This record gives sequence, structure tokens and C-alpha cells, in this order.
Amino acid sequence: MLGSRTVLRLDFNLFGTAILLAVIGCILIYSATWASADTSVVQRQIIWLVAGIALSMVFIFVDYHVFLDMSGVLWGIGVALLLYLWLWGKATANVHSWIHLGPVQFQPSEFAKIFTALALAKYFESNDRAYLDLKGLLMIGTTIGIPVALIVIQPDFGTAATFLPLIAAAMFFGGIKPRYWVIAVMIVLIALPTAWMFLLKPYQQERIKTFLDPERDPLGSGYQVMQAKIAIGSGGITGKGFREGTQASLEFLPARHTDFIFAVLGEEFGFIGVFVVLGLYLFLLVQCLQVAREARDRSGAFLVICLVSFIVFHVFINVAMQIGLVPTTGIPLPFLSYGGSSTLMFLFAIALILNVDLRKLVNV
Amino acid sequence: MKVYRDDQRLLNFRINVFMWLIILGIAVLAGSFWYVQGVHAERFRGLSESNRLREISIPAQRGLILDRNGKIFVDNRPSYTLMLVRSDLARLEQSDPGHREQMIAFLSAALDLPASDIEKRITRHDEVPRNRAVPLVEELNIQQVSEVEAHRLSFPALSVTTVPRRHYRYSTMAAHVLGYIGESTPEDLDRDPDLQMGDILGKKGIELVYDDYLRGIDGNRLMIVDSHGQFLSEIEDTRLEAVSGENLYLTIDFDLQRRAEQYFFENEMVGTAVALDPRNGEILALVSSPAFDPNVYSKRLAPETWRLILSNSFKVELNRAIQGLYSPGSVFKPVMAMAALEKGVITADTSFNCRGQQTFFGRSFRCWKRGGHGDVKLEEALKISCDIYFYNLGALLGVDTIASYAKSLTFGERARIDLAGEKPGLVPTTAWARDVQKRSWYPSETISVSIGQGPLLVNPLQVANMMAAIANGGVVYRPHLVREIESKDKDGRLVHREIQQEVLHKIEIDQKALEVVRSGLWRAVNEIHGTAWSARVPGLDIAGKTGTAQVITQETWTKSQDLPYRFRDHAWFASFAPKDNPELVVVVFVEHGGHGGSEAAPLATEIYRAWFSERLARGGNLATRESLSNREERVQ
Repeated sequence: MLGSRTVLRLDFNLFGTAILLAVIGCILIYSATWASADTSVVQRQIIWLVAGIALSMVFIFVDYHVFLDMSGVLWGIGVALLLYLWLWGKATANVHSWIHLGPVQFQPSEFAKIFTALALAKYFESNDRAYLDLKGLLMIGTTIGIPVALIVIQPDFGTAATFLPLIAAAMFFGGIKPRYWVIAVMIVLIALPTAWMFLLKPYQQERIKTFLDPERDPLGSGYQVMQAKIAIGSGGITGKGFREGTQASLEFLPARHTDFIFAVLGEEFGFIGVFVVLGLYLFLLVQCLQVAREARDRSGAFLVICLVSFIVFHVFINVAMQIGLVPTTGIPLPFLSYGGSSTLMFLFAIALILNVDLRKLVNV
Repeated sequence: MKVYRDDQRLLNFRINVFMWLIILGIAVLAGSFWYVQGVHAERFRGLSESNRLREISIPAQRGLILDRNGKIFVDNRPSYTLMLVRSDLARLEQSDPGHREQMIAFLSAALDLPASDIEKRITRHDEVPRNRAVPLVEELNIQQVSEVEAHRLSFPALSVTTVPRRHYRYSTMAAHVLGYIGESTPEDLDRDPDLQMGDILGKKGIELVYDDYLRGIDGNRLMIVDSHGQFLSEIEDTRLEAVSGENLYLTIDFDLQRRAEQYFFENEMVGTAVALDPRNGEILALVSSPAFDPNVYSKRLAPETWRLILSNSFKVELNRAIQGLYSPGSVFKPVMAMAALEKGVITADTSFNCRGQQTFFGRSFRCWKRGGHGDVKLEEALKISCDIYFYNLGALLGVDTIASYAKSLTFGERARIDLAGEKPGLVPTTAWARDVQKRSWYPSETISVSIGQGPLLVNPLQVANMMAAIANGGVVYRPHLVREIESKDKDGRLVHREIQQEVLHKIEIDQKALEVVRSGLWRAVNEIHGTAWSARVPGLDIAGKTGTAQVITQETWTKSQDLPYRFRDHAWFASFAPKDNPELVVVVFVEHGGHGGSEAAPLATEIYRAWFSERLARGGNLATRESLSNREERVQ
């Protein structure tokens, strides 16, 4: 374990930014739900946060190499849970991405993300080539592909898509030679139309079509985006003020405390609020990348990079979806959206990054 | 640990590229938001103003409750409710100050309610989202509806909707079985997270116990409305259709139930009657008099109505069949007879001499017949209800043996009927005296218990369970009121699920011994000098036992009917018919009714006549082919 001197070296800028974002999240969740039938939402989120911060201590103070050494087992557990979900879902003929443990329910896919990131970092510990060879590609492909496949057959394309940043990070930071890029692009070009025709359900196709032309059907699939845009746009530069957002409190805006929490921010705190929160995200991410640069070893750097890529992906997709820049998916906004599993997942991610930071100067 | 060297610079380069991509992405996002919030703010502000979405609940039809033959007891009728959308009202008040006051004044005049009351009704729903329509006044009459509709354009925040209202077709009939409904309370919400404030759910009786089946699932739809509150269109992919509740077929027989209730009503009696099928525990009639009108209870009650209900000295809400606890009196004697035969302390031929009184454990006990009955055997003792005979059985058995036997007949326990609030009563034991009463049991108390007096307390349903077990050869079925649940499957087809019979206990008794008890009960009704002679129906082999439960200890021999009402004895009659292969058990209990034979038995007779009317008309022979073949089997 580490001494108290090391505890003091904890990067409070980084940790503090994450907590500040979470506090802003609670304020927005309260504002989004105070007028609705279920007003205990914010209390539950606070409980999740406190529990998450407490549990994070494990991921901060136990040397990350311990987790890396266990990464194979953890990855196996993640895959086993997903497999269980699939088999159980088949047995009950239900789409389920939740596991119930007494009063607590959680989404194994959230934890599978962290475990997969750990497994990848472990792999790159021993692979320091400038470019990945075919064997390396296959290793990475299997590590990411198996959990993704299990999530796709649930079927939950939205969550499966959140593994994309891992693939991108592994390919970019592992290094890919130009000819592999060509192959990859070709595969995507062939796969997309095939997926459109055979894999996507009509409602998913509908979502993408509506995304391309949201005003086409303002009461159907485009409804959420229209309402979110109206909320954000009507907020103007200074916003309508705390608890004053009519779009949100009058329930025009669906999923306003989960996926569309950013629209509440836009409506009530205006462009200024949006600008400040985006700035906080940028500040957080830049600090995280600094940790990656200074990491003691390659595995630490890759762990941070994988986790950062998750956060970046969630922030970009979620924020862009608020004003219709990307199709609506069920991707939560890190630290701001209501939800137990995602809150825990992102807190643990930050904890692991702090872990790498703490040990940059420690002799092992 | 492998420390990396070679590609540190390459990795840092890639990290920097990544960082600049992030900065670029955030900048693009910020720019896009500026475009929406800075450049086009006015346009979206306008859209936000005209954006009116309203959630409208589609109430689910509560399931019907029917009798065993499909006659409807409870259904739903449309009733008119005045609804208000408070967000509309607030907006109208903003653009037209004084609108709210005008609206309240209009409602006050149209509905004849004080303005302060309407004000209170508006603020009552503060926890419900403001764009949701909330009920303001329920059960408008047609005149009020047309009055409100005529002013619809002046007060667009108001509307009238039709909601199903629970309707108990025969008002007080079977009220204690059916129960009633009401609005959810905070405790209900804690128990069931699916419930919302103001939801309707069962509060008593079948309505309560089978609430999950009856309730159904409310649907809802989202409507786009214009600034005048007119519906423009519906967002159809958000529509949730309501799912109707399931229908319940009771075991109750409508005609039997009505006949039994009329008897209590016409004779102005307080009491209860239970008729059940001894072959499976199905309850055919369950009356508790006086009854209440569930239609009144299911409305929002005015405080004065509540006060009236609570001040009623006859406790109308009490279901006397399962919640009324009384001394069983002589109807307990068959239990003594069965226990004594089974434990072997007597045989059918054992006789005791009744001289009108006898001393047990140093105390003198009297028979109801002061002159005494002379030498009496068991069958005779049941027929003439000789107290001395049963005192002797009590002395031989001891209270704990009596108690354990009584318990296997559901005395002292809940028989798990599908109604809430069953009271188990009390079967005293030496352990009860020691642990609860903190005293020792006096053997002389056992003598009182032997004739159903003393601390022994039972409810009428338990007496019916006992009679059913005597009738069917010793099986105690769980008494139940619902026979079948009818629901619709996914394709809209009706699905029927039958409620299975359930055995609570099998009592230990030799069939021959049981036949002696049955025979004694038959003689009580069908032989001259039998205590229930008045209950006989020619052509119908009724077997039964009368009982008279003393309300106060009578030191002097005063005739019960000469006493003031509240000191008069309770009257019991417990019976089954026909004697061989019984099909019906009837227990009647009349509070302060005096003697069981004269007050309680006539109703039982009437019920039997009604139930067996066809067969009685056919020539009076009740030994059906089925029962004859059974008898042959038994001979073999």
C-alpha cells in the first residue's frame, strides 16, 4: 500500500473536475425531475455517487499492475456475465441488458468495458512495436470482438457501439500500416450496407433516416431531437434559470434526466452553461492525457488511453446527439446523466487513471 | 517489468494528435451550440412557447365480479369527471389576469360548490406534473356537464372526461364478500411502486384480495394541443393501450345469497349465514347482516358520511362470518363426540346417567333440562343435546386433547379464506392459561368448554368447516369464494383458470365413528324430541345441531326472550344435507336471537329448500344414483 505522502500526491485537479461535473449532474437531474411524479431520482443518484466514490478508492489505491495481472480473469468474468445474460434472455424470450442482484441491478456491459480496457493494456505491455502485425490485430480483435458480439446478440447495438473507441484507440495507438487502413476501410464499406439490410431493425433504420432529416417526422422518431433542440435553442445565451426550463419540467422532453440531461443544461443555463461544462470536460481530458504521457510504463499509458477514449466517445456522441448532429442512441453523458451503472463505470475509470498517475514515480 | 524506451516519442506524438482531435471536437460542438443557442435562439423560443404536449391517461376497465353462474354482481359504468390542466390555467392567467378567479366563480355557480372548496381541489394535486389533467370534481350530472361544455371556449383549461365508475348492481347484496374500492393511500404507494396517488384499488373483500387480477393496467397517450387546449394530433408511437382487469367468477350462488339476505332483512336480524359445498370448500352463500352499500364507500366520502358510518352501533363493516367471535355453545358438541370416539374414551354404546345435574371437580353443573334425561347414549345425547353427557366426555378427555382435536377442524386458526381480516378465535389449553393468562387452568373450566362455553371463541365459518368435515368423511377444505379467473390472452381469446381445491387438514377418525355422529345429528332434526325438529324438511335428510350461546351467566332461570335485546342469547344452527353423500353445509348464526332451533334453523330450512327445490319437486328422494352407488361400495 501507499503511504500518506503518496495520498497527498493524488491529482486533486483531475479528481475534483470529475466530482464537480457529477455535482452539476445532480443539480440538473433535480431540475429535470422535481416537478415529476418520481422526485426521489436525485437522491438515488447521490447515493450512487457516494457509493461510487467510496468504491473508487479500491481502484485508486490498489496498484494498477494488480488489476493488469488479473485482467485475463476479469475479462473472463465480464464475458461470462454477458453470456449468462444472453442465455437467460433466450430462456425468458426477453431483451435484457440488466442483471438483478437483490435490490440492485446492473448492466454487465458497463463493467465489461473496463475489463476489456484492462486486457488491452495488458496486451500492449509486452507489445512495443511501432506497428501492429497481423497476429497483434487478431489478438486485439478477439479481446474486443467477443464481448461486442455478445452485446450485439442481446441485441443492444447502442451499447455495442460504445466499444468502437476501444477499437479505434487500439488501432491508432498500436499503430496500423497504411495497407491495413485500406483493408479496414474496404471492410467498413462492405459491412455498412449489409448491416443496414440484414442486421438493423426497422425502428433502427427509421432512427437513422430521421437523423438525416429530423423535421421529416417531428412527432415520430425525430420527436426527441426536436424537443431537445427546442429546449436548448430556447435557452439562448444566458438560459431560463435554474428550475425554470419549461421544456424539461413540463415533460415535453423524454429521457430528460438520463440521455438528454445536457438539453436541460442548455435550456436552463444557456450557452454559457454549455460552454463551461464543455470546458470542464476538455480540462479533464487534457489532464488525463498528461497522465498517459507521464505513465511509468507502456501498460499504464495504454490503460489511460483506452479509458480516455471511452469518456471522449460518450461525451462527443451524447452532446452531438442533443442537437441532432448524430442519431439518437442510448448513450449516457459521463458524470452528468442519471444512472447507477454508468456513474460507477466512469468513476472507476477516473480512479484507474489516478492510479496510473500516482505510481508514475514509484519504484516497483 | 518491461520499461519502454524505443517508441516513447512515437507514443507521445500519437497522444498529442489525440489531444488536438479532442480540442477540435469540443470546439466544433461549442460552435454548433452557438449556432443553435446564439443565432437561432429566437426561433426556438417561439417553438417552445407554442409547444404544448398533454399526457392523457386511458383508465383500465376493472374486472367484473360474477356469481358462479355468470350473473354480474359488479361492473363499471361511465361517469363524468371535470378535469383541469393547471399549466393551461397558469398561462391563461398570465395573458389575462383575473381568468382564474372568473373560472372559479363560474364553477362555483355551475356546480353549486363554495369557491374555497374549488380552490382547495385545484391545489390538491401539487405533486402531479402541471401539464397533466387532474380530476377536479367527480360524478357530474348531465346538466352540469352541458353547463361546463357550453363554456368550454371561455375556460379552455377545463374539460369533461368519461371515467368508468365501479357499480355494485345490487347495492348491499354480498357486500362483505365483494368489498369495495377506494383511492390509494400513502401506505399503498410504499407497498407497490407501480401505484400513483389517486389510483383506484381494492380496499376490502374480493376487491382487495384479488386486486392484482381485477385492476388491469392503465394506458396513456400523448397529445399535441394548441394554445386553446384543442387537440391537434396524437404522438402515436408513444401510445400505451390500457389492459382490462380479469373477471372473477365467484363460488357464490346468486339466488341462494339473495334468499339468505332477505331472511335477515325481513326479520330485522343481526347475524350471519354460511352455505358451502362440503365436497370442495366452495362457499355458495355468505351473509353478514347488517350490510353496507359498497357504492357509497367507493366514492370519495364526505366527512359527515364517514361520521355516520363510524357511529353505527351495529358495526356494518364487520364480516360476522369470519370476524365475529362467539361462544359456539352446543354446536361444539359434535367435536366432543368425535374426539371421544377417536381417542377411545367411549364407544357408541357407552351411556351416562343424566339426573339434571352432576358435580365435577367440586363444582355442580346443570343440564339444560332440569329434570334430567336419564340414561343416554351418544346418538341420543346429540339428538337431545344432553349437557351432562358431554360434561362427562370433557372430564374424560381433558382440555388439551379437546383443543388439539378442535384445531384440526380450523378452530383457533385462520382457515385462509380468500378474504382479509379473518379472526382465528380462541381454543383454550393449559399452555394458554399458563402463558397468556398467567394462571393455572381449572379442571372445572374444561367442563364448560365441553358444551362450547368458557373461554372458547369461534367464528361461524369455522363451524361450517367443522360441519363440512363431518359431512364429507373428515376432510377440511380451504373455504374459498373465487371459482374461476377469466382473462384474455395475447390474441384476445378468453382464458379460464380454475381455482383448485385445497385440503387444510384430514382429521383422524374412524368412518364408523363418524357415521354415529352423523346419525345423531340426523336424529336431532328428524326425530320427535330432537332439538332441531323444527328444521326438518320432509323428503330431505337434514342433519344438524342447534346451539344457544349465553351472553351473560344466568343465575336465575329467565326465559331469554324476556331479557333486554343485548343480554339475549345468540342462536346457532349448524347443519348439512342430505345425510348420506352431503352436498350442502349451512350454518346460521343470529346475534341475540334466543334459541337456535326457533330463530336460526328456519333460514337453514329455506336455504335447503331453495337449493334442492328441483329434486324435492321430483318426488323427494334425494338418494341420487351417484350416492346409491357409493353406498354399495361402502357395503363391499
